[in-house]
Amino acid sequence: MDSGINIICFSASYAVALALEIARLWVKIPYSRALEIFSVSAGIVAQTWYLGHRVARQPSAPLSSQQDWFLLAAWVLAVVYLAAKFYYPEKSLGLFQLPGILALIGASVLASTRPLAPEEAPRVWGLAHGVFLLLGTVAVIVGFFAGIMYLLHSHRLKRKLPPTAGFRLPSLEWLERANGRSLGIATLMMCGGLLTGVVARLAQQGSTRNFSWSDPVVASLTAMTVWLVACEAFRILYPAARRGRKVAYLTVAAFVFLVFVLAAVVWGDRFHTQSAITSQSDSLAARCMTSPPPGGVA
Amino acid sequence: MKLRMVGCSHNQASIEIRQRLAFDSKQAAEALVQWRKDLPETEFVLLSTCNRVELYAAGSQETPRTEELVTALAQFHRLAPGELNERIISLTDQQVAGHLLRVAASLDSMVVGEPQILSQVKEAYRIAQTNQVAGPRLHDLFQAALRTAKRVTGETALHRHRVSIPSVAIAELANCVFESFDDKQVLIAGAGDMAEETLRYLREVGNPHIHVVNRSPERGRELAAKWKGTFHPWEELFKQLALADLAISTTSATEPIMSAAEFSEQIAPLRHQRPLVILDLAVPRDFDSAIGSELGVYLYCIDDLERACQRNRAARAAELPAAERIVREETARFIADSHLRATAPVISGLREGLHRPKEAELERLFNKLPELDGRSREEIRQFADRLVNKLLHPPLESLRDASRNGTHHGLLDALRRLFKLED
Repeated sequence: MDSGINIICFSASYAVALALEIARLWVKIPYSRALEIFSVSAGIVAQTWYLGHRVARQPSAPLSSQQDWFLLAAWVLAVVYLAAKFYYPEKSLGLFQLPGILALIGASVLASTRPLAPEEAPRVWGLAHGVFLLLGTVAVIVGFFAGIMYLLHSHRLKRKLPPTAGFRLPSLEWLERANGRSLGIATLMMCGGLLTGVVARLAQQGSTRNFSWSDPVVASLTAMTVWLVACEAFRILYPAARRGRKVAYLTVAAFVFLVFVLAAVVWGDRFHTQSAITSQSDSLAARCMTSPPPGGVA
Repeated sequence: MKLRMVGCSHNQASIEIRQRLAFDSKQAAEALVQWRKDLPETEFVLLSTCNRVELYAAGSQETPRTEELVTALAQFHRLAPGELNERIISLTDQQVAGHLLRVAASLDSMVVGEPQILSQVKEAYRIAQTNQVAGPRLHDLFQAALRTAKRVTGETALHRHRVSIPSVAIAELANCVFESFDDKQVLIAGAGDMAEETLRYLREVGNPHIHVVNRSPERGRELAAKWKGTFHPWEELFKQLALADLAISTTSATEPIMSAAEFSEQIAPLRHQRPLVILDLAVPRDFDSAIGSELGVYLYCIDDLERACQRNRAARAAELPAAERIVREETARFIADSHLRATAPVISGLREGLHRPKEAELERLFNKLPELDGRSREEIRQFADRLVNKLLHPPLESLRDASRNGTHHGLLDALRRLFKLED
C-alpha cells in the first residue's frame, strides 16, 4: 500500500524549519518558534509514518538497508532536536542540528537500498549492531553541534563581540556538559556497535577468518572507536580535557571520523552488502548441495 | 469617562517631594479606605513607587475634582495642599488613559523599559480591589494598561535589552557562561556599591556561594553577612580566585591587584581551564587585561560592560516608536470602548422604546385575526423584529461611528430628545 508520503515530504518540513531559523537572524517573524516546532513535528510524524510503512512491508526494516539506517538516524536526531527545542525555545539550535538531519536524509538518498544484514546471521546481533551504531552516530553528531556552538559562543565572549539578534546559543556550561555526555555515549555505543558487528559475523560464519578488517567501513569504524576510547581515557586522566574548548575539539574530531565512516558506508561498503549477498548465495548453494531435493534422489 | 489622575513623578518632582508623598502598601490601603469614606461616589487606585506617586480616580456622575484629590493626598501625609500644587500634575479622561498605559508599558520610567513597573501597577490595582475602592471604570482602565504592557513586551524587544552595568554583567555575560548560579562560587573582591548591586541581580537569578575578600575586615564582614556569604582576609585573594567561578572586583586599588604573570603562575595551574568569569568593575582596573587571554577566562572590565549598555540603550531607543504606537492604539481602543459603553443605556433605551409598541401592535393584530395559525403568527413576529432591527440599524451604526470618534455626545443628546429617553 502506498502511503503517499515520501522522503521529500519530511525533508521539506525540516527545510521549512531551517528556513525559519535562518530568517530569524535578520527578520522578526511572528510565531516563528511555534511554526518551527510545528514544521519539525510534522516532519517527524511524516517520517515516522514513512518508516512505519516500510516496517509493515518488510519486517527487517527500518534497519534493513543503508538507506533505512540513515533515515532512522535522521529521525532520532530530529526527535532529539525537537525535545531540545521544547527545553530551549529561544536558542538557535536548529541552525546546527537541522542541517545535520537534512544531511543524513540526503545521505540516505545516495545510500544503498540493498539488504544490510545477511539472513543467516542471528537477527538479534544484526539489530543490536545497527542500533548501537545508529545511536553512536546520533551522539557524535549531537556532540559535534554542541562543540561547534561552544567554540562559536566562546569566541564571541572572548572577543567581547555583541550578541546577534535572533542568534542565541545555550550557555557554555550546558554546551560543555552536552559535549562530554555525547562523547561518553558515543564511545559506549560505538564500542557496542563494533563488538556486536564482530559477534554477528562470528555467529554467521563461525569464525573471524573471513572477517575483512581492511574493508573501508570496518577500518574507519574501528579507527573511530579507537579514537573515541582514547578521547575518553584522555578525559579521565587529564582534567583540563573535560573542560570547554578541549572537549569541543575532541567531539569535532570525532565527527570528522564519523564523516569518513559514513562516506565509506555510502561509497565503499562491500562488507555489509555485496559480501553479504555473496555469503547469502554461498550458503544457499551449500544448502542446495547438502539437502536432498524434495522428493528424494532419483 | 470621568477619570482623573493627580500625582507626581521623576519628570516633575524631586526625590524629596516623592519621598514625602510616598505610600507603602499598608499606608496605601489605609488611605484608599479613608478616601472612599470621604468621597463615596469615587473609585480610587493609588500607584506609589520610588519614581512616582499617582492617584487615579473615577467618578460615577462627574469627574473628580483636582483640589479634592490633592487635598486627600496631602492630608494623609499631613502636608499643606499648597506645598504640592506646583509639583502635582492633574490629567483627565483621555490624558489619564494615555498616561497610565505609557506608565504600565514602562515608557514613562526613569530607565525606559525597566520591568518592575508592571508588577507595581498590578500591585496597586490589587490593593484597591482588596479594599473595594476600585470599580468598573478603573477596572477597565487598568485592564487596558496591563494589556498594553503585555503587548509591548511581546511585540517589541524593549524589555529584552538591559541597560545597567550589573544587569548586563549578569544577564548578558555570566548567563552566557553558566547555566545556573545555584552551585557557583562567587568571589567579591572589594566591597564597593557596584559589587552590592551586582549581587542583588545575582540573587535574583540564583543562589550562589558568596565569598567576600576585602582589605577592610569590618566592611568585608558586613557585606558578607548581608548577603549570607563568607568573609576571607585579603591575603586569601589568590586562593579564593582559584576556587571561584565568577569574580566581581570593585576595589579602589590604584594598581592592578593581579598581574597576568601571577594569574598564569599561581591561579591557572590550579583551575585546569575551568571557566572563570571576571567582572572587573573597578576604575582603574583590578585585573591585568592580558589575563583575559588565558584559556577558560572571560574578563570584562567596566568599559566593556558600558559599551554593552550603550548598545542596549540604542536598541531600546530603536524599539520606542513601536512601543509608542502600541500605546496609541490601545489608548484609542480604550477610549472607543469607553464611549461605546457610555452609549449603551441610550441604545438599550432605543431598543426598549421600539420593542414595547411592537409588542402592543402584534398583540392587537393577533386579537383581530384569531384564525391565524402558529406558523403565520411566528412569521409576522419575525417580520416585526426584522423591521425594528432595520429601522434601528442606521441610527445605532451612526452612534457607534460617532462614539469611535468621540463625537457621540450631540447624537446621544438628540436621540434622547427625539425618542424621549430618560437617563
